[in-house]
Amino acid sequence: MSAATSRWFAVGVGTAARRALAERGGLAFTLTFYAVIVVVITALWRAAAESGGGTVAGYDATALTWYILASEAATVALNIRMIEVVGDDIASGAVATEMLRPASVLGVRMAAEIGRALPRLAGCAAVGVVVGATTVGAVPSAAGLALSVPALVLAIAANLLAQHAFAAAAFWVRDARSTWFLYQKLVFILGGMLLPLETLPGWLHGVASALPFMAMAYVPGRLASGHVEAQLLVVQAAWIAVLAGVAATAFAAGERRVQAVGG
Amino acid sequence: MAEAWANPGAFWTQVIAMAVNDVAWVAFWLLFFDRAGEVRGWDSSRVLLLFAVLTTSAGLVLGLLANARSVGTLAANGGLDALLALPVPPLAHLLVRRIDTANVGDLVFGVALFLVTGGPTPARLGIYVGGVLAASVLLTGFPLMTGSLAFFVGRGEAGDFGLHSILLLAAYPADIFTGAPKLILYTVVPAAFVAGVPSTLVDDPDPRTALALLGVAAAFGVAGWATFTLGLRRYTSGAVWTRA
Repeated sequence: MSAATSRWFAVGVGTAARRALAERGGLAFTLTFYAVIVVVITALWRAAAESGGGTVAGYDATALTWYILASEAATVALNIRMIEVVGDDIASGAVATEMLRPASVLGVRMAAEIGRALPRLAGCAAVGVVVGATTVGAVPSAAGLALSVPALVLAIAANLLAQHAFAAAAFWVRDARSTWFLYQKLVFILGGMLLPLETLPGWLHGVASALPFMAMAYVPGRLASGHVEAQLLVVQAAWIAVLAGVAATAFAAGERRVQAVGG
Repeated sequence: MAEAWANPGAFWTQVIAMAVNDVAWVAFWLLFFDRAGEVRGWDSSRVLLLFAVLTTSAGLVLGLLANARSVGTLAANGGLDALLALPVPPLAHLLVRRIDTANVGDLVFGVALFLVTGGPTPARLGIYVGGVLAASVLLTGFPLMTGSLAFFVGRGEAGDFGLHSILLLAAYPADIFTGAPKLILYTVVPAAFVAGVPSTLVDDPDPRTALALLGVAAAFGVAGWATFTLGLRRYTSGAVWTRA
């Protein structure tokens, strides 16, 4: 990434973040939604641990609680219907005006979405720490929690890139809006948002571990639950590189198609 | 419905996509109970019944009354102007004006799931239908109420968040929880009455529980109508070109 590209990307992130912070109502709703969801889901898993003799797949109640707090923060901070939004912009031709900018359409969008997500992520993290501390007490590992912070940011980036890659189908398929349902469920289960991947049957655990969705929720959850596995950050970075390549290629091909048909 | 059917390919693509989405939720619960075993009296068969009620009622509301979730956005963006010019009751027309074809897949899936896993007998089927209808009234009234807050605070996200909250929480058996979470599910966000209570009635019919369900559904239905009606009096035009 050149210095000029880095500069406008940073400006985009900063502008979007300031805008998100100014939308206090939207931020409040996101944090309230997150609080309600994690209170309920962590209670579910603690009940499961209680019924299972104290642990589920090697996670005790405390670890499960902090896992869910992190995995949910990584996804709630994002617009769950981003694929639909991007798909609509592509289908309506709005993306054509974005192509007039002397900057990558994908890059500008990513900067804006990352900037919008960061204040929400910070808020969810703060709420999550309060919920965790009041329900199960201290985090299992301070080192794990510290590693989960960059993991959350990387998870956001991976998720956004993948969503844009999915949404790029709208350049070819007129109605790709419904794919957001499927994508969301892939993140929920294969991404480990709702349940740690270790709870999956062996074969499915293997499949999930080989897919990029695990970088979007499982990694920050795993780290926050007390498993200090710093190599997972490397895995996230690798998936970000792959997803960036896929998204960029898809958008480049799609933009050429828009030009070809006179969009 | 005619508009939705104008593109049959897209219609069926979205219906199938939603059905696959629901299969993923079924998979989650099967995986969960495979690991956790029975949790506070709930097992996979009870949860599948809960899910059948949830998807059927959600499909009815989000599919056929799709604008129930959009009231807040429409009010905040001035999208009600064209609607108010029509000689029809605004709320009724607003609710049926749009169909979300993807959620029709929920309706189909829910009915199929009940028929396959719910052990349908005439009595169970009758309770299932009644429970679904009550849940549908609740699922319409709650987002209508939260969305109509946009008339007063000027922001449209409350309806969508309210709907997402109640749908997400309704997918979890309330009895699994204790304390504050359980209280939330029976009061502030009455998700327990959307699927948990109706599905329990199918397995264990109880007149008092049935009355409670009907009462809560009616209360939120009325609250939704009242909030919308009162809010509409405050509505001012957004000068936006829209379709009625």
